[in-house]
Amino acid sequence: MTIYNMYMFDRNGTLLHYAEWHRNKEAGMSRTEEAKLMYGMIFSLKSFVSKVSPLDIKDGYLHYSTNKYRLHLYETPSRLRIVLNTDLLVQNVKELLHLIFSQVYVEYVVHNPECALGQPIQSQLFATRLDEIVKQHPGFAVRSV
Amino acid sequence: MTKLAEDVIFDFLHMEAVKYMYDQCSNEKHSEDDATSKLEHMGYSTGYRLADRLSRESLRFNDELDLLKYVCKVVWSAVYRKEVDNLRTNHQGFYVLHDNAFRFFTSMSRSKQYLEQAPKYLALPCGVVRGALANLGVQCVVTAEVTTLPACKFQVQVQRA
Repeated sequence: MTIYNMYMFDRNGTLLHYAEWHRNKEAGMSRTEEAKLMYGMIFSLKSFVSKVSPLDIKDGYLHYSTNKYRLHLYETPSRLRIVLNTDLLVQNVKELLHLIFSQVYVEYVVHNPECALGQPIQSQLFATRLDEIVKQHPGFAVRSV
Repeated sequence: MTKLAEDVIFDFLHMEAVKYMYDQCSNEKHSEDDATSKLEHMGYSTGYRLADRLSRESLRFNDELDLLKYVCKVVWSAVYRKEVDNLRTNHQGFYVLHDNAFRFFTSMSRSKQYLEQAPKYLALPCGVVRGALANLGVQCVVTAEVTTLPACKFQVQVQRA
């Protein structure tokens, strides 16, 4: 079980933060390009899902899996989007994503007067706390190759 | 620790007050000292009123040290939801108040990052201490110092007539 990496986007698609723990394969392009692609993909995915869905979707959470990994998308009411890639065994990621938003983003970015909102996050404390909270998650524990 | 709603309002309002005051410095009429002294004055009037509001139930204080202890306990918990961690004095009217996790800094940094911006957020708190002490009968000068966030210390120099 392992957690690979995380992207955080604001409502305009700006990449606020990128964090990486275990990643074996690089995208072969710059991080900004990759982030644009990722944002475009989740944006299309969401509109696609909401169009073809036979039921009303109210939940701000969706995920898809390939044979190798699972992508989790968590969206807050203010349209902050957190994308987390894990392997297929990790459980309860929704709680983790909610924690990242409420205990890390709100606490160390929204409450920090020196952090401008809607711009890449510079705060070191934010990065440290994010790292801690992800590493505490049981899904992080065992690394499978 | 989750913050209470009313504390959050105070936090955000203070943030905006600081930002507003220091943004005005960019035009040539105002200097950074103006912004600092305005914020300090806001803090002073707040502290002055606060002292009356908080001490309505308590008795008179015997001496200066009692008074300072009172400020460290009651005023600090009312404004910052915690007490001062350490109070030191040279018994000649000079006091140092150590706060190891100052409320405005706990969300900012735990290192030297943002150290240069930190003094902006201390002008108002200094005023609160000076105002509260002034209303309780001690005239003083209060300055603050930060070396590593989120700890900071306030120096109180009592003015003897």
